[in-house]
Amino acid sequence: MAKNTLRKTFIEPLGKNNPVFVQILGICSTLAVTNKLQNTLVMTLGVMFTTALSSFTLSLIRNHIPSRIRMMVETMIIATFVIIVDIVLKAFYPEMWKQLGPYVGLIITNCIIMGRVEAFALQNKPMLSLVDGLASGLGYAYVLLAIAFVRELLGTGSLWGVRILGSWWTNWSIMIMPPGGFFVLAILIWVIRETIMKEAKHD
Amino acid sequence: MNAQPSFYKERLYPLVFMFIVTFLCILLTAGLYLLTQERASANELSFTRRAVLQAGGVPFENTTLGIEQAFNEKISVEEGYYTTQGPEGIRYIIPLQGPGLWGTIAIMVGMEEDLRTFSGLAIVSQNETPGLGARIEESWFTSQFSGKKAPFTMVEEGTASLDNEVDAITGATRTSEYFLNLTNRAADDAKLIIRGE
Repeated sequence: MAKNTLRKTFIEPLGKNNPVFVQILGICSTLAVTNKLQNTLVMTLGVMFTTALSSFTLSLIRNHIPSRIRMMVETMIIATFVIIVDIVLKAFYPEMWKQLGPYVGLIITNCIIMGRVEAFALQNKPMLSLVDGLASGLGYAYVLLAIAFVRELLGTGSLWGVRILGSWWTNWSIMIMPPGGFFVLAILIWVIRETIMKEAKHD
Repeated sequence: MNAQPSFYKERLYPLVFMFIVTFLCILLTAGLYLLTQERASANELSFTRRAVLQAGGVPFENTTLGIEQAFNEKISVEEGYYTTQGPEGIRYIIPLQGPGLWGTIAIMVGMEEDLRTFSGLAIVSQNETPGLGARIEESWFTSQFSGKKAPFTMVEEGTASLDNEVDAITGATRTSEYFLNLTNRAADDAKLIIRGE
């Protein structure tokens, strides 16, 4: 039983309860940081770290939080973890920190994090909440990386900053601009909902 | 009668709870900030030094240590600008900033002794459109200024030939214009900063 719950908690955010293409959460950062694989990876690691640890921490103290100031406490703890990510990046990966600019700080407002805390961590045990947060972050990460893959390849002809396509390739500049994010995300959501999700519904 | 427990539970407890949480969070982040502060400001310094080296056309190894070594050996720091010994006399390196399309563009410009010929140029910070204006950071764009004489004119991407012509960026006309204004101001600014004219 316990093992089943754990499994379910981990699998669901990756598939049929994915934060990005099912719940359509965290879209702002999906559009903003997916024009380069490298930036996307660092950003998603930051989100995974924050969702996992803030879910864990808030679940630990869930029985002591007065319900009327619940959201203030949540925001405070989420913000703390995000600032930790920001400080660490600034000190150890300054180049990356410069490129991500304000987006690291904006992880605080990522709806996935607050959403998982409210919907899951406040009702469940710490370890389970940690797994849920981690899986939600992972579900967010792989979708973003898929989008970044398409955008970087079509927009700059490279992957991970290394030129892949030859000089015959004309860069689709629109792909690395914000509209490109909308196009790729919309197409991805549409394809997944029409194919994989549809089959799952019939089962 | 039961006002007492309610006062505690409804008013005091949330207040104290929030206070403790805030205190712990700030303690953690402030501590971490202080621990890494030295490193962060070293990074900042290294970025500036790298831009100075690039603008001055000084070869260097792109590591924190390499940058520091090259900077200490080759660059002398003056008030508001830097100098280095180039093959044709002193090179002046000055920081400049001006408006871009979305925000301020800050650059480092290196000039030969005549204060007209550019020895190099490096972008310190910019907020231009990714994929279009942000291409000012790409090395084909910044390196084309080396050896050319201000004031510049901008021509269509890929057609610059004369020694005062530089390639504009296709699809980023406004950024190119702002950048042109900024680099053309460099000579006057340099005279003002260095010679006080």
